[in-house]
Amino acid sequence: MQIGILWMLRYAFHGFSTYSSHGATFGLIGNARKKLLKKLNTMPLGAVQARSSGEYKNIICDRADQVEPTLAHVVPEFTANIIGAIAMFIYMMHIDWRVGLWQLICIPAGLIAFAVMMASTPKYYPNTIKKTKALNAATVEYIGGIEVIKAFGQSKTSYGKFVKAAKEGADCFIDWMQSQNFWQNFGMACFPATMLGLLPSGVFYCLNGSLAPADLIVLIILSFGTVAPLVTVFGYADDMSRIGEIVSDMADVMDEKDMVRPSVSKNKPRSFAISLQNVRFSYKDTEILHSISMEIADGTVNALVGPSGSGKSTIARLIASLWDVDSGAITIGGVNIKDMPLSVYNRYVAYVSQENYLFDKSVMDNIRMGREGATDEEVMEAAKKCGCHDFIMSLANGYQTICGGSGGHLSGGERQRISIARAMLKDAPIVILDEATSYTDPESEAVIQNALSRLTAGKTLIVIAHRLSTIADADKIFLIHDGNIEASGTQQELLQASPLYRSMWENHIAARKEEA
Amino acid sequence: MRRERRRHNVSYIKKFFDFCGEKERKQFYFSIFLGVFHALFVAMRIPAVFVVVKAILEGGLSKQTAYSAAGIICASIVLQTLVSLKTTMLQTRGGYHTSSIKRMEIAEHLRYVPMGYFNTEGLGKVTSIATNTMDNLAGIATRCVMVVTKGIITTLVIIASMFFFKAEIALVALATMAVYLLGTELMIRAESKTSDKATTAQDTMVSRILEYVRGIAEVRNFNLFGRSITSVDDSIDAFTTYSTHLETTYEIAMFLLSSLNKISGVVMMLMSIAFYLNGSMSLVYAVMMMICSFMIFESLDQVGAFNGLTRTIENCVDKANEALSSPTMDIDGKNITPENMTLTVRNVDFSYDTKKIIDNVSFEIPEKTTAAFVGPSGGGKTTITQLLARFWDIDKGQIHLGGTDIREYSYDSLMKNFAFVFQNVYLFNDTIENNIRFGKPDASREEVIQAAKAACCHDFITALPDGYDTVIGEGGASLSGGERQRISIARAIMKNAPIIILDEATANVDPENENLLMQAVASLTREKTVIMIAHRLKTVENADQIFVIDRGKIVQHGRHTELMNEDGIYKRFIGERKEAAGWKISSRA
Repeated sequence: MQIGILWMLRYAFHGFSTYSSHGATFGLIGNARKKLLKKLNTMPLGAVQARSSGEYKNIICDRADQVEPTLAHVVPEFTANIIGAIAMFIYMMHIDWRVGLWQLICIPAGLIAFAVMMASTPKYYPNTIKKTKALNAATVEYIGGIEVIKAFGQSKTSYGKFVKAAKEGADCFIDWMQSQNFWQNFGMACFPATMLGLLPSGVFYCLNGSLAPADLIVLIILSFGTVAPLVTVFGYADDMSRIGEIVSDMADVMDEKDMVRPSVSKNKPRSFAISLQNVRFSYKDTEILHSISMEIADGTVNALVGPSGSGKSTIARLIASLWDVDSGAITIGGVNIKDMPLSVYNRYVAYVSQENYLFDKSVMDNIRMGREGATDEEVMEAAKKCGCHDFIMSLANGYQTICGGSGGHLSGGERQRISIARAMLKDAPIVILDEATSYTDPESEAVIQNALSRLTAGKTLIVIAHRLSTIADADKIFLIHDGNIEASGTQQELLQASPLYRSMWENHIAARKEEA
Repeated sequence: MRRERRRHNVSYIKKFFDFCGEKERKQFYFSIFLGVFHALFVAMRIPAVFVVVKAILEGGLSKQTAYSAAGIICASIVLQTLVSLKTTMLQTRGGYHTSSIKRMEIAEHLRYVPMGYFNTEGLGKVTSIATNTMDNLAGIATRCVMVVTKGIITTLVIIASMFFFKAEIALVALATMAVYLLGTELMIRAESKTSDKATTAQDTMVSRILEYVRGIAEVRNFNLFGRSITSVDDSIDAFTTYSTHLETTYEIAMFLLSSLNKISGVVMMLMSIAFYLNGSMSLVYAVMMMICSFMIFESLDQVGAFNGLTRTIENCVDKANEALSSPTMDIDGKNITPENMTLTVRNVDFSYDTKKIIDNVSFEIPEKTTAAFVGPSGGGKTTITQLLARFWDIDKGQIHLGGTDIREYSYDSLMKNFAFVFQNVYLFNDTIENNIRFGKPDASREEVIQAAKAACCHDFITALPDGYDTVIGEGGASLSGGERQRISIARAIMKNAPIIILDEATANVDPENENLLMQAVASLTREKTVIMIAHRLKTVENADQIFVIDRGKIVQHGRHTELMNEDGIYKRFIGERKEAAGWKISSRA
């Protein structure tokens, strides 16, 4: 009878805890997802982009899903099983503590087997990690490079390499399993064998009269109740360790340094002049910018030029507040950009490059993202202003054309012009233009340039320039070299003062002659 | 109590076995067969208990009883271990081999997929399938299938052995098991609509999250976070709602089904007592039956515990099949050496996704001449050059190389004649030397250096700390876009193919070194048949023939001077190019 009650209690507890943990788990996962997404919004953009979108999908979608069965089932079952087992065990100890202990003799045996098994882990585990990594790398190379592989007629050789990696990737696990095969299975057989100690000891105690035979039968039945949950728990040990791994992946993202910003602005910028004072910035322990100072006047055209890797793009990203400076300060109209909330600051700056992303929504909605609550008329107005209206109207569904992969086939140039219209609608007083990467589509370069001209008119403009002729009329050109400002001034001034600029200009002219 | 989704045991297990290779399937079947014995050996604790209980109830308890019971348990442990030594290895081999064979099948399949099929998104998907999905297949899916089959078999074995004690009670157990399995099946069917909604909600959520991540720069630039326009929060909430609803229903149903098991256990216990009281069963048997009724559904519950992973199995199998389902083409032609390098295109049509991309195009490119393709983006110029090298098979018409249809060549013997410089440079995670040598695997170091010099790479390579041994890629040197481009040209020079297909760089990659890039291209194309998608005025001007492609047709054809005298796309195009090159930005637009 007592057995029945204990059993019912455990069962009811189990049912209740699993049931209640479900709502909680889904809520928890949903919140974790939202928190991760929010985190991406507050950490430095550069740090966000250090991981691929595939990695984020893995962490935010796939991995989070994998937590669900474990959290919702394993945790309550784990607790229910353990609590049940402990209750049973206490009751058994109450009936006869000697038999209660004897039944546990199988546990040391099982543990020893598992200990031996685990001892081989350091020998085999690193190898599986190595081989798995090698296999994944081989896969990425083979598939990513398939175009090159086939074009160079190397598909047989490369396939051979891949096959070798795939075989090794499987064999290392098989070898590992082989090495621990005996101990694992022996342990698995020993662990639940409580009868091994219970039956003989119980019989002996019955024979010497210190245990009532009826009690022995009760003990046998109870022992079955103890073993089953323990085995179940054992089966979950793996899942429990996996959850740790998953959570640590998420924690890695959550632990990234945030950009510290106040929730409300202390001061409003007096103008849209930009000033950098002794700005230093390092990436992965390498200092990229060495104490840079520069002044950009309100409403002027400014260009950052310099060899690739000089740090000109980094300066632009710092001004756009995509990264934080290590030391020094960037101010807009006298206000340190760190004293403005990102949401406020973002209104002041439009960053235009070829990577401008369109969402899988209509052209209308994509442009509207530029300003919350803009009317259809305002959207069209912006499109007209930058010369996009006509081409949008010529699309089969006009402004309702869907921009994403599922929608019409917009060309690179068309997508780019829509993103310029979006920036137009935003009407930010500061525009940062990454010219070097802004033409994906040479056939539509001229129209894009037109749109850009209209977008940038009257703004404080910073161009990361590639073609020196483009910025010949700029109010100020900053020549960046090895993380320092080598020279600054108008083109004429630079041509006279800077040998580096002069040689770049000559190079450029030579290339243009080739072209024109 | 247990988690279920979409399908139940039998259907997904069958799917898994259908998916495995012949050899692996046999390994799994054999291991299931051995599983019956394993279940029997596990069940040996019942006779051990029986010996003791019988002795207690019928008298004759002795040391011998203890020894027998201990002996049976020891035998059970030894036999279980022996059988599982074999089954574990069978399953491990089966699982890991299945996954590695599928990986190889996917890789093999890709060799036959038309080159044009590859785009970044498609390749990313296949890569993820060949890595993550196959890892899951080897690990989780295999384990899940095995636990489930083993659980069902063990339960059946125990029920079968119960028939020796009392058929009536065994029948109750059997009926319970049937109802349990049927009940889960019914429940899943009843919930299939919600389940589908949850799946759709999940897909939406995944694509919204991906979009959010990919567009994170815009999300921040335009303060989209928390705004309904990205709908990302809504999609997360929707998925949470459907999942919770689904799980709650399942929980209740599974609680009931699981209760059925327990109640059935109680019924079996009561039946044992009744049979004992009416004298149709001995006390020993009655006690044994009570013990059995405790453990009978243990394994069945384990089956339930793993049902949560059924989706993983389905996903693994579906995704792998999807990767293997992309269309292939026959590439095993004859090894032919073309008589000359003249390319002839006659009345070629080509469609993609029912959209006609190339519409009745004919032209000829004589050996050692240069043909430039120009025209608006999306007009089909890239596709035409791809068709020449059989990246796709055409729908209608013929393409001949040296007078022989390109479909008659084996793919490798056709490709021997072409060298490509793609817009997107792909370099392997290997040394610079090996990357260049990829164009000619048996080349000596001297030859590699020659090619590097011709492509204006030698100077920057020797300036690197490890020179030609520098490993490109993660953890290796980071090269600029222009440097990577030149290495890819060196690789093409190494191949020394008679026909060069060149997607001319848009000249924005490495502005300081544009001259070097142009020199490299000049070395590559010297004395060759050149087919280029041209963006530079200079290269277009010097081409032997220019094809202006618009909406899948050749709309203009001729030399630069001829085309400049015609009113048409070409003249406009050249004008725009000149204008673009002279563009100056200013605040006073």
